[in-house]
Amino acid sequence: MRMLASINQSLYPCSSSTSIPFLPKTNPPQTLLRVRDHDKNKNKNKSNTNRQHSSSLLLVSHFHKSRSLVIRSQKRPQNNMSEDTDEMFDELFDKYGKVVYKRNDQKSPAAEVDDDAESLSFAVALAKVANEVKADDIRVLFVKPLVYWTRFFIIATAFSGPQVDAIGSKIRDLAEKQFKRVATGDYKPNSWTLLDFGDVVVHIFLPPQRTLYNLEEFYANATRIELPFENENQNQFRR
Amino acid sequence: MIQPQTYLNVADNSGARELMCIRIIGASNRRYARIGDVIVAVIKEAVPNMPLQRSEVIRAVIVRTRKELKRDNGMIIQYDDNAAVVIDQEGNPKGTRVFGAIARELRQLNFTKIVSLAPEVL
Repeated sequence: MRMLASINQSLYPCSSSTSIPFLPKTNPPQTLLRVRDHDKNKNKNKSNTNRQHSSSLLLVSHFHKSRSLVIRSQKRPQNNMSEDTDEMFDELFDKYGKVVYKRNDQKSPAAEVDDDAESLSFAVALAKVANEVKADDIRVLFVKPLVYWTRFFIIATAFSGPQVDAIGSKIRDLAEKQFKRVATGDYKPNSWTLLDFGDVVVHIFLPPQRTLYNLEEFYANATRIELPFENENQNQFRR
Repeated sequence: MIQPQTYLNVADNSGARELMCIRIIGASNRRYARIGDVIVAVIKEAVPNMPLQRSEVIRAVIVRTRKELKRDNGMIIQYDDNAAVVIDQEGNPKGTRVFGAIARELRQLNFTKIVSLAPEVL
């Protein structure tokens, strides 16, 4: 499928070379301009008259747009464009690797790890509550490497409508009282009830729906989190 | 911009192939539907030997539109086709997998089930 997702660059007029090291071709990269500064002096005599002419024309039209255009026209001597751009791109690749676009509001790795740990403790607490209400086959999956929109999935099976309701309301109570978080989504017990806490998403299925949708298989690459009460349950059965 | 009589592709494995919008759910005289809206549609083409048949009336959520979707940060998403996912009255998807990329706006509109079945979220 072909899609077109375009970022309206006009809303980011001050996109500096530090935040966006590698801009698409349509926008004149700032670094290009800097690299080509010394070329300007070399060919000063050659294109001096041309340059002045074009810049004055463009400046008259509208300044905001023309600023980049003027610089482009200045920095386009006559023929040696291609050699320089290759070198320049190599340099940028060495410097930044394959980063194409980086958001400014990204957190530091340490903060990310802290957030992950917080979400993990929240997810494990929710799973524990689900276990108390006798939900079956509880799985906590760390899906952050696979999808960007959440961190943990909790998948549980309930055997009847009232049990789905009980698990859902217990989980919501605990989240609200201890963690001060509210789930979005509809609260009606359903064959597939979903509680969305942002970084943790809880799926409560009835057995036929669980096999039908088979979310574990879809997220098979996610790492499974070991739960503390799993071993206890097994021991109980052994006795 | 989906309106009655618009044909849509089906972006799941429910068995329907093509839908025709017959009603937009929401206000009484709503003209156009966009991404995240629920429509009533009729199945115009279906895969043989599947539970959904031709000329069945179903509900569907629009997941892709050719009309561009604008975000507050200036991002514009325009897909190449109009596509919908078949749901039942409770909002559960009829298919078990969603195909193609979908927008994250669906999550804010409480269609997280569809989002969690999708292979790619924009």
